[in-house]
Amino acid sequence: MTALAARREEARTSFAGRGLPTRRVEDWKYSDLKSALGEAGLGEEAAATRIMGLPQGLEFADLADPHAPAWVAAHLGTLARNAVSESSLAFAEGGIALRVPAGQAIATPLALELSGKGHLRLLLVLEAGASLSLFETGDAAGPRNAGIEIVLGEDASLDHVRLSRPVPGVQVEEIALSLAARARYNAHFASFGGKLSRTELTIALEGRGAQAQLSGVSVLGGDAHADITTHLIHATGNTHSTQLFKKVAGGKARAVYQGRVTVAKGADGADSRQTAKALLLSETAEADLKPELEIFADDVKCAHGAAIGDLDADSLFYLQARGIPEADARALLIHAFLEDALTNITRDDVRGMVRNAVGQALAALT
Amino acid sequence: MLEIKNLHVCVGDKPILKGLTLSIQPGQVHAIMGPNGSGKSTLSYVLAGRAGYDITEGAIAYNGEDLAAMPPEQRAAKGVFLAMQYPVEIPGVTTMTFLKTALNAQRRTRGESDLDAIGVLKLVRAKAKALNVSEEMLKRALNVGFSGGEKKRLEILQMSLFEPKLAILDETDSGLDIDALKLVAEGVNALRSPERAMLVITHYQRLLDYIVPDRIHVLAGGRIVAEGGKELALELEAKGYEHIVGQDSIKRSA
Repeated sequence: MTALAARREEARTSFAGRGLPTRRVEDWKYSDLKSALGEAGLGEEAAATRIMGLPQGLEFADLADPHAPAWVAAHLGTLARNAVSESSLAFAEGGIALRVPAGQAIATPLALELSGKGHLRLLLVLEAGASLSLFETGDAAGPRNAGIEIVLGEDASLDHVRLSRPVPGVQVEEIALSLAARARYNAHFASFGGKLSRTELTIALEGRGAQAQLSGVSVLGGDAHADITTHLIHATGNTHSTQLFKKVAGGKARAVYQGRVTVAKGADGADSRQTAKALLLSETAEADLKPELEIFADDVKCAHGAAIGDLDADSLFYLQARGIPEADARALLIHAFLEDALTNITRDDVRGMVRNAVGQALAALT
Repeated sequence: MLEIKNLHVCVGDKPILKGLTLSIQPGQVHAIMGPNGSGKSTLSYVLAGRAGYDITEGAIAYNGEDLAAMPPEQRAAKGVFLAMQYPVEIPGVTTMTFLKTALNAQRRTRGESDLDAIGVLKLVRAKAKALNVSEEMLKRALNVGFSGGEKKRLEILQMSLFEPKLAILDETDSGLDIDALKLVAEGVNALRSPERAMLVITHYQRLLDYIVPDRIHVLAGGRIVAEGGKELALELEAKGYEHIVGQDSIKRSA
């Protein structure tokens, strides 16, 4: 048995032992995965993954290949794993592995479409000094479980934007990252929900000077659900993280943000900020925002805040008094509420695409 | 132009205005002065159409129409402008986008065609210079990080851009130092015209040194308790509100 097959076998055994999380597990309190999936569960099917043109300089490996290169074996399945990511590791037969060799800056963004139903797996390795911009889209026809591992070497830099389409089904995504010294991860997650939709990020800032900037918007209507759960681990000192998540929910939609920041013992000089805000447009919409801090170091800067509310009455009156009809004034304020989370997207063209998707979702909502 | 008759207004269950009567003709500048809590801001909000201010008695006629029956945006399109005491900050909307959206919304309500982005930009630039509103301010989010003076100058820029028939200035002097006050007052004076009426609401006489009114009304306890010419402001300054408000009968001079 190859090392990869052994790792998959181990994941299969681990998942069989743990099973799907229930609401009794604190992390899954607001996302009832087991009920949403019903009898069938996540299944054991593998999903298809499409790369829309492989930019030059990027190395590709198929995870189904038993003779995958050494860098695949060195990293696959090595980062943080929970029950759900165990199952994607166990059941995604194939999946893709991508590597940017040391010092390479890939100019063309990598467009990835993760769609279809079943389990899929992605391994992305940026070696020291490498840089890449990843634009990820996708939808899920049936239950889909994506397990993504991202390894950033020293001074590596990754821009990551995920633009989900609204999906009827269940979609879960587990993203685990490790950042070496001075590595930089800048990510935006635009989500429009599903029957149950969850993106969980576990980010380990392992080397000094490593930084992660996360942002996201959710626009949810009907009975859509979208959960973003983050765990930022400041494993060493002089590491930085920022998080800004904005959510708009109408109808009977449910928006969830859980953000845990852990500052390890001795990680002095860590700097972390997290903000989550939700705007509820109906009496029946719900937002659950839960920022958490676990600090074991002495000298750190950590700020967190969460707010749930309606549109500001003063602002609404101000716009109306300037001649803007109420419906337009509301739309303007909702766009404005989301806008600052979009400014974190570095590429203008990608930001434009996300802004369009947000506009369409808001138009459908109001 | 504006005829307010026996206006009674409640906020929640609390009566604030208790029989206010006031008449303003085109070309006139009227000032409303009064101590804190007299109902000055309530009057400005009722005229602009803010929700939560209930008219329980009386009427407001604006060019012969029932102003109270119109939503705020319609009042704006028909030429009512309220320069606010506390202009709101709206992160995520640039000042220029806001001005364009508001200007075209008013035009659309009046059945006029939209001005394109370049047309609006030219118009705004032409008006901004006199009020010392910089290009950089126009690019920033609306009122975000603006100083008190910048906020008030932007209010007056809007007044100049929207060309209202009735401009209400609510405590436009608050939070301004003397130089900022002069600049704002010059902007307002430049907009005085035979077709335009103004209602200047202020606690202090100071503003009226620079924007000289035709008529002054003293508001206390929700009613006009004294009226007079511009010299009334000096009397208030010298003797204080208590002297006038304390008297039972309504004082009328000149």
